[in-house]
Amino acid sequence: MIDIKKTYKNYVHGKYVRSESGKTYTKELKNEVYELPLTSKKDIRDAVTSSKDGYKKWSSTTPYLRMQILYRLSEMIEGNKESYVELLMYHGLTKQKAIKDIDESIQNIVWFAGLADKWEQLAGNLNPVSEEYFNISHQNPIGVIFSLSGSDVSLNELLMSILPSLTVGCSVISYSEENSVLALKFAEDINNSDFPSGSLNILTGKFENILNDVSKHVEINLVALHKELGNDGLKAIEQNASESVKRIVSQPSIEGLSSILPYLETKTVWHPKGT
Amino acid sequence: MIDWQYSESIESPEIVSIKKKYTNYIGGKFVEPKSKKYINTISPSTEELLSKVPLSNEQDINSAVKAGKEGLEVWSKLTPNQRSRYLFKIARLIQERSREFAVLESIDGGKPIKESRDFDLPQVAANFFYFAGWADKLDLSWATKSLKPYGVVGQIIPWNFPLLMLAWKIAPALATGNTVVLKPAETTPLTALLFAEICEQAGLPPGVVNIVTGDGSTGSLIVNHKDINKIAFTGSTQVGKLIQKSLAGRDVGLTLELGGKAANIVYEDAAIDQAVEGVVNGIFFNQGHVCCAGSRLLLQESIHDQFVKKLEKRMQSLRVGNPLDKNTDIGAINSKEQLDKITDLVNEGVEDGGELFQTQCELPGNGFWFRPTLFTNVQPSYSIAREEIFGPVLTTLTFRTPEEAVEIANNTEYGLSAGVWTEKGSKILWTADRLDAGVVWANTFNKFDPSSPFGGYKESGFGREGGRHGLLSYLKASS
Repeated sequence: MIDIKKTYKNYVHGKYVRSESGKTYTKELKNEVYELPLTSKKDIRDAVTSSKDGYKKWSSTTPYLRMQILYRLSEMIEGNKESYVELLMYHGLTKQKAIKDIDESIQNIVWFAGLADKWEQLAGNLNPVSEEYFNISHQNPIGVIFSLSGSDVSLNELLMSILPSLTVGCSVISYSEENSVLALKFAEDINNSDFPSGSLNILTGKFENILNDVSKHVEINLVALHKELGNDGLKAIEQNASESVKRIVSQPSIEGLSSILPYLETKTVWHPKGT
Repeated sequence: MIDWQYSESIESPEIVSIKKKYTNYIGGKFVEPKSKKYINTISPSTEELLSKVPLSNEQDINSAVKAGKEGLEVWSKLTPNQRSRYLFKIARLIQERSREFAVLESIDGGKPIKESRDFDLPQVAANFFYFAGWADKLDLSWATKSLKPYGVVGQIIPWNFPLLMLAWKIAPALATGNTVVLKPAETTPLTALLFAEICEQAGLPPGVVNIVTGDGSTGSLIVNHKDINKIAFTGSTQVGKLIQKSLAGRDVGLTLELGGKAANIVYEDAAIDQAVEGVVNGIFFNQGHVCCAGSRLLLQESIHDQFVKKLEKRMQSLRVGNPLDKNTDIGAINSKEQLDKITDLVNEGVEDGGELFQTQCELPGNGFWFRPTLFTNVQPSYSIAREEIFGPVLTTLTFRTPEEAVEIANNTEYGLSAGVWTEKGSKILWTADRLDAGVVWANTFNKFDPSSPFGGYKESGFGREGGRHGLLSYLKASS
């Protein structure tokens, strides 16, 4: 019997799609060669269009529902735990390390699910202004995030590049280079968790091919780099970003409340008190 | 007959003694610039030469940053409570010398004394008081221990609220354990240099606050200095972009508070007379030299004619003239350069087809002045409806529905502030939620408080100043 091998495709707007360029790059796992989508500039533009729409839907989803959708993601991964462990072992991880990675992933998803309806209480507050005004600072999600995942093959690491911004209502374009097979497998669980289409798009390829397009695209509001880039890469990104005052975060903190802060815009509203 | 005695309406300049020449303030000492070069600072209301201040060069900036690093050694070893006490002390000293600062601010910058005296200076002191109390509570501020100061912070501030911008920058930076190298704007350096005396009076350790004067080239030297750990800039979006570009690829923190083109939305169910007052305050406060000025008036079509009529009548009562006259509403335009920019944009507005209304008032012979100006019949594509004019010029657009108001309001690359006028609470909340703006004033405008975060969305910059959120601009999250 001949094995049936899975075809991995980008995940954009709730659909599995090949790169419009028709190009792929290969990754060998356990003596099998996988052809993975080599994302093009046009693919990025399509993903941004999708993410803009996804942002509208996801940011207007109630925190209560966002929490449940995120929690459902943990249920999906729990159910597919064995297949994740197997895939991580194909990448060379020991069984023990693979199990640990998936357990940590699930734990973090549950943590962020529970944060979905609490971060506004932690990050916003009334301000005690010294005149008769009601004054409140609260947060809006910043918009469309492009997130470059780290180079370690780890579901947990991939998740920590997505969850903080996704939890607060941003839409995310997650881009993976080294851990692409894992990321595209993860897309299947996203697809099964009731996320609105476009809220999370998952693409793979060579970052250098799209670096300029991502950092210049004015409809990407923030670029998060969870991987150390060569100095020239970071410099090019930040130079391009300055043309539209785009926010760039390089290896941001993923600890506690500080993990979500880069993805929030603070809005302060004043109103007089009177009769 | 009652013999009414009127008090003298001109605030006496005697309270301030302006030196013929100033020095930088580096490492706790007043030092001559190594550049040996100076620039003139004039009074924009008389065009008289007031003084000369250093045009600092690379060597001067090197000394200042070095002093900042040395200052950090001392500052970081103090207990948070000691840092807090220094800030409280500075706040008190500012209150005590408040009138002196206010008069100097009006002379050097051209703003009316009633604003420098009743707005700028009280706010300056309040900012130091507010952040003084945070210095020993940082561990409580964001429920995380991973936040650390940057180190030496370079701060570049504008000319519209010279001392207040200094306070917005220095108070939170010091409270969070950083030291600073601050450059005031080229046209308004004097109150910052007077503030150096306050630092000395307060016995602040040398190098914690360093003040260097100069022009854009000096600012650029600070930005590009290898030992600067963070830059905080307030100014134009154009310069902000250049700074962001200069810092590309470098491990230097950055916060930017840039331009704006705020929409001030007046719905037909607003309290019209209050809204007229608010719109006037929104654009004519500080000669319109305000990044968050309500420069785009968005009127619901049904009230357009009535509102414009009332607005023109109210504008006519604005007094333009001597900044030191306590009755003055609108002082001098800050510089010849700014006056030219405003004039050019207004001329362009007229050529584009905008309908111009300017108040009829006598303007002083010398100095830089511009009449309060209102444009009606404006298309959203006109420069006067898109570009930041930074002067007493209001542009009117109309809308029919709340959805359209929000769409027009957000149709700009800026996102600093916005205003909403309606008596209907649910409409305020609906509108405020949809505006891409860091500050939304509902049934008010241009209100500020040290506890209230300020800063923009989109190309109006990033980071907040003021409030608990303002602390984050000076603390680095380390993972």
